Amino acid sequence: MRIRNKAVSVGKICLLVILLLVGLTVLGCLGIKTSPEGSSGGTIADGTIFLCPALKQAAGFGCTAPVVEGKLVAVDISDGSRLWETPLEASTPTGGGFGCASSATPVAIYGNPAVVGELVYVGGYNGRVYALNSSSGALRWEYPRGASSLEPIVSGVVVALDRLYFGCSDGKVYALDIETGDKQWEFSTGGKIWATPAIDGETLYIGSFDKKLYAIDAITGEEKWEFETEGAIASIPLVYNNTVYIGSFDRYFYAVDAATGSLKWEFLADKWFWTRAIACNNTIYAGCFDGRVYILDAESGDEVVDAIDLGSPIYSWPVLVEGKIIVATEEGEIYAIDTANNQAALLADLDETIYAPLCASDGIIYIYSLGRNLYALNAASGARLWSQAIE
Amino acid sequence: MGIGDIWNLIAMQPMINTLIVLTHYLFNNFGLAIIAITLIVNGAMFPLTLKQIRASKAMQDLQPKLAELQKKYPKDKQKLAQEQMKMYKESGVSPAGCLLPLLIQMPIWIALFQSVMRVLAVIPENLVGLSPYLYSWPVVYSTLPLNNHFLWLNLAVGDMFLALLVGGTMWVQQKMVMTPTADPKQQTQSSIMLWMMPIMFAFLTLSFPSGLALYWVTSNIFRIGVQYSIGGWGGLVKTSPKKQTGRDRKYKERIAKVEKAPEGADIVVPSSTQEEGLSYEESGGERQDRGGGYPKSIRATRRHPRRGGGHRRKGG
Repeated sequence: MRIRNKAVSVGKICLLVILLLVGLTVLGCLGIKTSPEGSSGGTIADGTIFLCPALKQAAGFGCTAPVVEGKLVAVDISDGSRLWETPLEASTPTGGGFGCASSATPVAIYGNPAVVGELVYVGGYNGRVYALNSSSGALRWEYPRGASSLEPIVSGVVVALDRLYFGCSDGKVYALDIETGDKQWEFSTGGKIWATPAIDGETLYIGSFDKKLYAIDAITGEEKWEFETEGAIASIPLVYNNTVYIGSFDRYFYAVDAATGSLKWEFLADKWFWTRAIACNNTIYAGCFDGRVYILDAESGDEVVDAIDLGSPIYSWPVLVEGKIIVATEEGEIYAIDTANNQAALLADLDETIYAPLCASDGIIYIYSLGRNLYALNAASGARLWSQAIE
Repeated sequence: MGIGDIWNLIAMQPMINTLIVLTHYLFNNFGLAIIAITLIVNGAMFPLTLKQIRASKAMQDLQPKLAELQKKYPKDKQKLAQEQMKMYKESGVSPAGCLLPLLIQMPIWIALFQSVMRVLAVIPENLVGLSPYLYSWPVVYSTLPLNNHFLWLNLAVGDMFLALLVGGTMWVQQKMVMTPTADPKQQTQSSIMLWMMPIMFAFLTLSFPSGLALYWVTSNIFRIGVQYSIGGWGGLVKTSPKKQTGRDRKYKERIAKVEKAPEGADIVVPSSTQEEGLSYEESGGERQDRGGGYPKSIRATRRHPRRGGGHRRKGG
């Protein structure tokens, strides 16, 4: 009887402890993602859209754990059918099951793939860059070679001047030979780099978490100038009419002289900028986390018209299709802003979270949702042509 | 406005923005900000913590009497409950006194816990998700994203040393509040609580970002300080009740004799408080009986206050 009582007491204590821990874990981790999913958009080449699906987060004990390997998928843009897919790297689910942090580095992809000739290039959160055959998915080369890897790559990759450029969380910009993957040069900044670089002529422009925008010689890797803001920079610069336009975490949108790096004008918004701006007819369209699209004069920075409030943060890169700026909000509403009169119209409501950059071809826009669905919409009418689950 | 929105408005947003501002003013050091906000929150809740610790201690002091009641009414649960309530009432102890402050503190702990997790924002999704929580203070926007490095730690990943520190400080804290008991059943429960919680938390800490571990360690050290100021080192100094020696047995026999002895009998009492098997520390660091630590029955029957350099009692 006494043993039984003791067992009951021990059981009660264990239950109490477990309940406490589960409660703490569940409440603590509520809504907080702990492993990267990726938010890559598609890149279109030769009737194929190349896409890296967002990773699934499986429910673990209390938190979530990465369970699927990252992969590159080639989809036929005419009907959404899958042409081929190739795993980027096997990823063992470890950590994250009981607590919240994960010790694994799954191959989540944040930047869009780049396609040049017969190769498609992808940079992964696991700190590796892959060059794969665009018709079969066969691996051509990867960087770094061997078992080593860089810090996570959130930046997209850009190909120009026979080089592949990308930024890395180790604070460096890398330039690789596109044929062999050999490193040509690297350039160090003072903070992480999550932004995708932009190339104009022989100059590479890139923002860093050290709050600076850098202009770097794309051939030699030497710095031309740097421009300091008050906040970290995660957005891709827009180069237009010898001016670099970029938004920062300090809520300012800057216009910087592309030759000298001197400030032309700045514009203050309510929240920070993450997405790429678009230029059309000497007007800059800049989406912001405050849910507005600011329409600014490219020369003066004055608002051409009042900002268009879309009601939800803008993270995804917009696209310019047939004179219309197509913008997706985080909540999945797709708007078309007519550049002729700067009026916005709701094109479609996908009712899904949209982080991935939009892409377009022949009057059709392609949108990949965080729910891992790929949509093809008519840019003029918003009619859904097809949608496919790409997981 | 849903419950989640209200929670964000009154708990998460203030906590997150305070953390970011603290980081800015503490040399852009997120580790120092975690320590500072933990101390601020603990300091703000100090009266509640104090109340809870005192209530817990009062409950612990009542445990022997409660055990007696349980022995007295092993089958009559209604009577037992009545007697227990009566005892609580007489001694001015409320069982809810331990729980209520704890319940009030829980949302604040959870908010702090969630804030640390959110502000760490290691992956892009979390940094994006942080945006709705931010006030429009320029300092907030210029400070983000935060630097995750503090001393040798990457605050975003687990750390073995901090895990051990969390377990160790939790053990010390629990040990301090623990009242030694001779009852084997209670001993088992106590030792399970004493070891299981620190081990589980140390294990959890390994899989959580070490920023959270830093918060736990700071909290534990703060509580150890509070506990020390109230009851000294408590159970940490005397780890367990002494095994009964021959001397103890003789002492207990004498006590029994005294209890049975008629009023006015001349009895010699033991010379040291240690012989009672109840030390100053074991009684929770506070002497209940300023009259010398002897049962009233002994004091009442003592005729010779000192004999042979024994018990030092003033005014005996």
